[in-house]
Amino acid sequence: MFVSKKKVLRYFIALFIIFTLNFIIPRAMPGDPITNLLGENFIASETMIQELKIELGLNKSLPAQYLDYWKDIFTLRFGYSYHFNQKVISLIYMRMKWTLALLFPSILLGAIVGTLLGALSGWKKNNMPNKATTWVFLATYSSPPYFLGIIFLYIFSFKWGLLPFKGFYETGTLLDVIQHLFLPILIMSAFTASRNYMIMRGSVLIEKEKLYVVYAHAKGLYGNSILFRHIFKNASLPVFTLIALDFGFLLSGALFVEIVFSMNGMGTLIYEALLSRDYPVLQGCFLIITIMVIAANFIADILYSIIDPRVREKT
Amino acid sequence: MNNKRKLNRFGIFLVAMFVLIAILADIISPHDPWDRFEPYEKPNRNHILGTNDIGNDIFSELIHGSRASLVVGIGAAIIATLLGLLVGLFSGYFKGTLDEMFMGITDIFLMIPRIPLIIILAAFLNSSNWLIMLALGLLWWTSTARVVRSRTLQVREMDYVASAKCLGFRNSHIIFSDILPNIFPVVVPKFMLTVATAMISEASLSFLGLGDPSMKSWGLMINFALIKGGLVNEMWWWYLPPGLCIILFVYSIVSLGFSFEERKKVNLR
Repeated sequence: MFVSKKKVLRYFIALFIIFTLNFIIPRAMPGDPITNLLGENFIASETMIQELKIELGLNKSLPAQYLDYWKDIFTLRFGYSYHFNQKVISLIYMRMKWTLALLFPSILLGAIVGTLLGALSGWKKNNMPNKATTWVFLATYSSPPYFLGIIFLYIFSFKWGLLPFKGFYETGTLLDVIQHLFLPILIMSAFTASRNYMIMRGSVLIEKEKLYVVYAHAKGLYGNSILFRHIFKNASLPVFTLIALDFGFLLSGALFVEIVFSMNGMGTLIYEALLSRDYPVLQGCFLIITIMVIAANFIADILYSIIDPRVREKT
Repeated sequence: MNNKRKLNRFGIFLVAMFVLIAILADIISPHDPWDRFEPYEKPNRNHILGTNDIGNDIFSELIHGSRASLVVGIGAAIIATLLGLLVGLFSGYFKGTLDEMFMGITDIFLMIPRIPLIIILAAFLNSSNWLIMLALGLLWWTSTARVVRSRTLQVREMDYVASAKCLGFRNSHIIFSDILPNIFPVVVPKFMLTVATAMISEASLSFLGLGDPSMKSWGLMINFALIKGGLVNEMWWWYLPPGLCIILFVYSIVSLGFSFEERKKVNLR
């Protein structure tokens, strides 16, 4: 809509380069390419390997393989996992919804809590509660999300027995799902909120020195209404950029939190694939994650141009 | 103001302490981290934090682990900062086509999902701390480049740069001795935040079992403690200290970075 052609071009170049990288990696790495393409769990006889080589097109020249690779991508054929005995794409499809169920509420919650508290913290004087919140968020910012997960899991599930230990199942009721998702979402939200909080705080600290704030004071507006009517809009712009740029990082964080809570999402899938060196699954996940990250950036660009008219005028 | 200075001093003290521990690891640690004693010992006088599943002294492991963790974190941040500095300086100073090209590359790198890419690379190659450090460094320079570029765009319009141009100094001279010192206030906090991200990433990768077993880092210690049953057996002295060390070090360096940023009133994004 409002995104410039140059940016769209960059998205496509990024997609192209990452997908090409994904083609090169298994073929350039040390070891037998057939192992690299099928995973180390796969054992076959000599004749079968020859047949598979023909089936996978490994006997063709590299450029021909490369063309086939793109054909496969456009038809969503991401290979076959011999470890899970399933098509990679259907595996990912099954797992992805749980990752998204963890990620999106956390991003939303983290954005709301982080920006609100961050704005207040940048605006108010440096009193005791303010310092304490900053300290808590800074400590959350500094910890690996999975470690927080381990500690919470230990306290809430192991010590107090309040919440379930692991995963959840397809058959559960909504209440079950909420009960199982509560801790992971709490941790991911805290993690997201801490990053937004620090940026929003810094942003408000800068904005509040500006002249329009002085003018609002002079008009006789009260403190909080200056903050929320005038400063908030301007100061929250960097947070929007951050959420888009951070999407990949947050997604990776979610993958680790999933592993801690044994959730049936993509993180656990990647972990299982890693343990058995199931390369097709790893690569499929990488491609899907790439598409998700680029899509998130694209959406953020559109949102940004809607929120900030200056960006729109430039394009 | 007074309070900020105090926080700063605390951060500097902690960072210096960890660096000192890493350098003097051989002298401070009571045992060799590879020596084997009675396994699964509780904390006692001889082993302050007990021993792990194969009988290594956990306290010594912790002290030696600071080396791997700090080297990976700081090393990756140095690579990333140097790269970002160069890209940002050149594209901000020369503008035009070069800028367009560099910023295009930066945008593309920004969109690569870095941790998944490193997971794939480490799965194919035999993972080592050097590989992780290099990969983190080569993937994490983008935001530094952006910040440096926008600062360079401001600085290059200043009068003293114009006069240096009039005096006929070479471009490389102007960039490195006139503009670079003015970029430092934005680069230093960015460097610290990069160290923090790199350390957290390293710890996360080790958690997946992709760490370097020949050079135990804090992340790898947590990983071992978990898969060998440290959590289920309530051996908090095993998995908690390395995690707390990561948090404490990252906290001190991040708070240094943020207080630097607030004092200088520079916006990093």
